[in-house]
Amino acid sequence: MKRKVGNVTEQEKQEILALFERRNGLTELARILTPDNAELYEKLVADMGATGTRFQQWWDTTSARYGWESAPDGNWEIDFNTNDIYLVIPD
Amino acid sequence: MIVQLCDTSASFCHYPNTRAERKLISVEALRKALRMAMCENMTVQFLYPDYALPSEYVELIESVDHAKVAPVGVTDEADIVVLPSLDRADEVKEGDTVCVRISRAELCDSVEALSALLRRVTRLNVSLTDSHTAVPEELPAYADALDRLGETVKEEYARGHFVQLNLLTDRLMLKQMNNCNAGAETVTLAPDGKFYICPAFYLEGDSPVGDPDAGIEVPNAQLYALSHAPICRSCDAWHCRRCVWLNRKRTLEVNTPGRGQCLTAHAEREASRRLKERMDAAAPGNMFNEIEKLDYTDPFEKVSR
Amino acid sequence: MSDTKIKKQEEPWQGGVAKNITFIVTKDCQLACKYCYLVGKNEKERMSWETAKAAIDYVLDREEEFPQESVVWDFIGGEPFLEIDLIDRICDYIKTELYRRDHHWFDSYRFSFSTNGINYDSEKVQRFINKNLSHLSIGITIDGTRRKHDLNRIWKGSGPERGSYDDVVRNIPLWLEQFPGGGTKVTISSADIPYIKESVLHLYGLGIHEVNINVVFEDVWKEGDDRLFEDQLMELADAIIDGGWYESCSCSFFSENIGKPLDPELENQNWCGAGMMLAVDAAGNFYPCTRFAAYSLRSKKPLIIGNVRDGIDQDKLRPFLTLDRLTQSPQKCIDCEVASGCAWCQGENYDAADTDTIYQRSTAICLMHKARVRANNYYWNKLFRKLELEGKKEEYEKNKPEANASLTC
Repeated sequence: MKRKVGNVTEQEKQEILALFERRNGLTELARILTPDNAELYEKLVADMGATGTRFQQWWDTTSARYGWESAPDGNWEIDFNTNDIYLVIPD
Repeated sequence: MIVQLCDTSASFCHYPNTRAERKLISVEALRKALRMAMCENMTVQFLYPDYALPSEYVELIESVDHAKVAPVGVTDEADIVVLPSLDRADEVKEGDTVCVRISRAELCDSVEALSALLRRVTRLNVSLTDSHTAVPEELPAYADALDRLGETVKEEYARGHFVQLNLLTDRLMLKQMNNCNAGAETVTLAPDGKFYICPAFYLEGDSPVGDPDAGIEVPNAQLYALSHAPICRSCDAWHCRRCVWLNRKRTLEVNTPGRGQCLTAHAEREASRRLKERMDAAAPGNMFNEIEKLDYTDPFEKVSR
Repeated sequence: MSDTKIKKQEEPWQGGVAKNITFIVTKDCQLACKYCYLVGKNEKERMSWETAKAAIDYVLDREEEFPQESVVWDFIGGEPFLEIDLIDRICDYIKTELYRRDHHWFDSYRFSFSTNGINYDSEKVQRFINKNLSHLSIGITIDGTRRKHDLNRIWKGSGPERGSYDDVVRNIPLWLEQFPGGGTKVTISSADIPYIKESVLHLYGLGIHEVNINVVFEDVWKEGDDRLFEDQLMELADAIIDGGWYESCSCSFFSENIGKPLDPELENQNWCGAGMMLAVDAAGNFYPCTRFAAYSLRSKKPLIIGNVRDGIDQDKLRPFLTLDRLTQSPQKCIDCEVASGCAWCQGENYDAADTDTIYQRSTAICLMHKARVRANNYYWNKLFRKLELEGKKEEYEKNKPEANASLTC
């Protein structure tokens, strides 16, 4: 089940979009980077941790600000075209 | 109509002419073209070679109203004297209109010789052979040379000799764009009896755009007009040759100048502006144009903003 | 929330803020489509790794000269997936280098492909897709029904003509599973006109909800084609509206924003993005768009703007970057009452021009555009009347998305 529970500003959308893109980039880079490349590998590991934290912080802060409806097994999703926030609960 | 009488006719513009083998236009072609010029109300300029023409040519030439562009020493009747090198500046007569082709570096090294020439002539046209390759780092030296030439112009004005130097005084006197306009307002009859956009197009082996029998048909003629030149139509370096041959050489389009040509024209425009300031101080109330200071050195920056 | 929905055509990713860099990885293709503008396809000109790397290094070494917010690394052929090993290596290198250099594009890039779909399910292609899924944009070209598709999209080689429909359609479910919003590109030439309606509906039936369809820019049109085209589009309009397809599917032939006069000052921008993009071929030459490479041109020499060794000659880009609509258009286009939405391809303009210029707009599609406008008017009048009768028009107007002007190629 998926239903709209809120909406964010363009600036807020841009913040999470940038984090989303970076997280995806790091994830896909992790598939090809090996520990042999020590310098880059360490940078990547640290970056993945930091980006993941900032990503979660955005959801925590923004959901608290707007008071979006939540559910124990649910998670929020954002539509980057409309800036709408959806609550998705697995059937 | 510009008539290049021979393959060896001296260049009076940006293009080089390295042809050494004489190939004179046929009398028949010349006759047809001159008749066409008269019927179409075209003014005619003849580009002379550095040798005397046969009498039948002289006769034909004299049958129409015209201007002669000839290398120094070839004829006493030249309207524009082409100086192949500054070494021969002594041969120029007092009051001549003179054209000289030199590089920017040569100009910078020859300010004194050019100044000496300016003191004797009515007008000096300098055609730079390398304006299209100019880069910003090279322009301060060029600007400095123009300022020094401007000082000579100012001195000459002070003594009542109103000499013209195309690089400096044209922009001070023009009220609108005054470019070469090859392909739009001028066309060249080449020694092969056919018409070309300008002598440079002939010398580079381009296709002709007509002949005196078939007439002139310039394909995409609109592209030679200022109205169809996005950079130039928004520019006020009115003295710029806006050379369509250089345009095509650099950008592959006749209507689009390369950066070098624009930077050079704007260095000249800016030197003209500085000259105006000095003239104002020396002779308040002069009739020269006010020139606005710009925040760009290449109008492309303005158009693409 | 409104329940009155008309599916809008998807905007290109980061349209207007992304630099498009195209690798012409091969000039070979399994197919020999009859309408293909690539007149110089061959099996020899395959990009080497050294050339690809030099092109990437050239671009990434000059971050200040490529300040665009985002980048689309585009792979084109021929058929790009014929060079999947090279593409995989290129993409890995790009990702690693973007990250190593802390390049701003690491946070905003895509790898884009337009494929004939034939080897889409191959192990190598699938491995590549799964590795890069969140950064991929892949379009499979399928032209519609079997008879429409096989009319043009035939296998290369001698012997009897063999269509490629079956070889492509089998991969559509997998593709849609991986790219649920995937759109297809349909090309219409003279012979295809009678099959437009059935083809678009067929594609909707296959689950492809985004049909980007256009007539070829080349001068291939016969007398009467515009009437046939208009009739087909009107039949298609009826089918889309009567069948309710407009709610979930889009067809680029129908747009609310086409068929209006254009303001000479405010709407004077160029249509085509040539010059904003950068294409590189196997020889390491740079082009303002792939359409200026030798294999794309019928009658003109390639328009090369530099190469990976000497860099880009900025002077050669100036005509592209200052090109506007009015300067290149004949008077009939400037005065045209239905000018908006009438597209052009700078490469085709160049190829068809009387001289070697990009400043002469080809008007080969003039009658076809006018036919499209008439059918488009019919479509919207009919659709709005339907919504009105159902009491939904006002609601739609209130909620409809803003119109976007975007480049199409």
